[in-house]
Amino acid sequence: MQHTATISRMKAAGAPPRLSAFAQWADRHFKWLLVAPAVLLILALSIYPLLFSMVVSFINYDFQVPGHAFVGVKNYERVVFDPVARWSLVLTACLSGLSVAIEFVLGLLVALTMVRSFPGRGVIMSILIVPLFISPVIVGQAWTLLLQRPFGPTNYILTQLLGQEVTIGWMTESPWLYVSLIIADVWQWTPFMFVILLAGLTAISPNLYEAAELDSVNAWQAFWAITVPHLGPMMLLALTFRLLDAIRMFDTIFIMTGGGPGTQTYTASYYLYTVGFTQFHLSQATAGSWLFLIFTALVVMLLVRRLLKAEPV
Amino acid sequence: MPVVARARRRKRRSVPIGRILLLGFFLVFVLWPLYWMFNTSIKPSDDYLTVPPVWFPTAPTLVHYKAALFAYRGLDGLINSLIISLSATVLSALFGTLMAYSLARYNTGGQHLSFWVLSQRFLPPIGIVLPVFLIYRGVGLYDTHIGLIIAYTVFTLPVSVWMMFAYFRGMPKSMEEAALVDGCTRWEAFWRVAVPLAAPGIVAAAVFAFIACWTEFFFALILTSRTAFTLPTVFRAFIGFQGAQYGEAAALAIVSLVPSIALGVLAQRHLVRGLTLGAVRG
Repeated sequence: MQHTATISRMKAAGAPPRLSAFAQWADRHFKWLLVAPAVLLILALSIYPLLFSMVVSFINYDFQVPGHAFVGVKNYERVVFDPVARWSLVLTACLSGLSVAIEFVLGLLVALTMVRSFPGRGVIMSILIVPLFISPVIVGQAWTLLLQRPFGPTNYILTQLLGQEVTIGWMTESPWLYVSLIIADVWQWTPFMFVILLAGLTAISPNLYEAAELDSVNAWQAFWAITVPHLGPMMLLALTFRLLDAIRMFDTIFIMTGGGPGTQTYTASYYLYTVGFTQFHLSQATAGSWLFLIFTALVVMLLVRRLLKAEPV
Repeated sequence: MPVVARARRRKRRSVPIGRILLLGFFLVFVLWPLYWMFNTSIKPSDDYLTVPPVWFPTAPTLVHYKAALFAYRGLDGLINSLIISLSATVLSALFGTLMAYSLARYNTGGQHLSFWVLSQRFLPPIGIVLPVFLIYRGVGLYDTHIGLIIAYTVFTLPVSVWMMFAYFRGMPKSMEEAALVDGCTRWEAFWRVAVPLAAPGIVAAAVFAFIACWTEFFFALILTSRTAFTLPTVFRAFIGFQGAQYGEAAALAIVSLVPSIALGVLAQRHLVRGLTLGAVRG
């Protein structure tokens, strides 16, 4: 500790700082006092609730059934044997995987067009990042306005472009509602990929590409030989962060489809929300959220381990 | 180096049509929903269901804005959002800076403490919000401003801590060490020397915390009802109705996205650090 060393040297030099007993105590425990407020808040509102929900998941806590008796793993059983729960987990994996994949490819392509500077680049940059600062609720609302029949102009535009009548129920018909949800997610989060990948791309030395050009390597080969390996850690970082947010998908579904029709667009978060807050099976919902937490932790361990090994920047 | 010069000239001469098309397509994709929302917000209700749609409203009106703000309590939501987001932002930036300084300069708790804070960022909110809802009902914090302020402070802390952690690590320690040699306490070295130097980083962290609170929906949906509801939760009123409230929904959306977009674009220099929790300098 360099600071302690300087202070003791100072004291030895005969210039003891005149401090009250409290101030001396505070100075000695300075580093712990600084972390205390944040740590206490996280303990109170994150760790304590988690432990509390662990307890709730093993007792009866249901606004429809009185009493808080111990029920063992019954709450967990109810979730595991609920076909809707299993469907919601599959849907969460598919929707988030597909969205993130599209966002990654599109974000990389757009980042590649923006690497070299050109007139108007700054303005375009400012426009492209706008979706990042909008509430997902509003994103859902915006796409509802565009897609919902009969008001939304999308079907009209498609009819004009394709030359035949298009009457797609974007928020009600089976494959199309997934397309709508993915479009909304892609619209909001492609800029996230784009911004991070662009930062990675601009960090690659242009000398490498000039050298490649002298060796008459074509652009495609240069992409695989220079861009991909240098951008690797950044790609992994962007994908990890994005995927961990994508599996929480809730807001756009709440606004656009309300989980419906039926339970077709229930993601894991939406399923747990309805079990807990519209059916009031609170203990069953906490049991389910613990299972979901474990799934998330597995994903985190897999991805973040690899991320730490790659050491970005 | 004539070869390089020739190669450069060749590159400059070819017009990158593919790139321009891709970028143009993506720009339209980004701007189109925003334009249509704005268009809907100033369009008279009679123009909703016409074929073809009204692309440019000829008789713009503010009637939807009035209805959204007053009839649907959008103004109350706006005020609540401001109170709650600002308070949580100040607390998060303050506590985040304190903790980040300790982690960066004294290596408090080693790697474990900093990664424990980071792991909070990746917890799915559904796992936290159910028990928090039960606890809040028990202690009377349900549907209060204070309750949501505390929740938002905790939910933005990991980002504040990690952004400031990266910022302090990038700052030289020599000034603070000089202050300590001159007889300052550690608190003085932190508060009088390090904090003013880190001010730009603190402002950037605060901006991202504010945007996160301003756009948050899930916690607000579950932890508030008729008193402390925030702007995003007002949109519940517009779900499921066929046609009648499109203008109001669009107007409220425009009102609510202006502040966060303005702040975000102003702070875009720090965007990469904000999105990656300081892992990437940008």
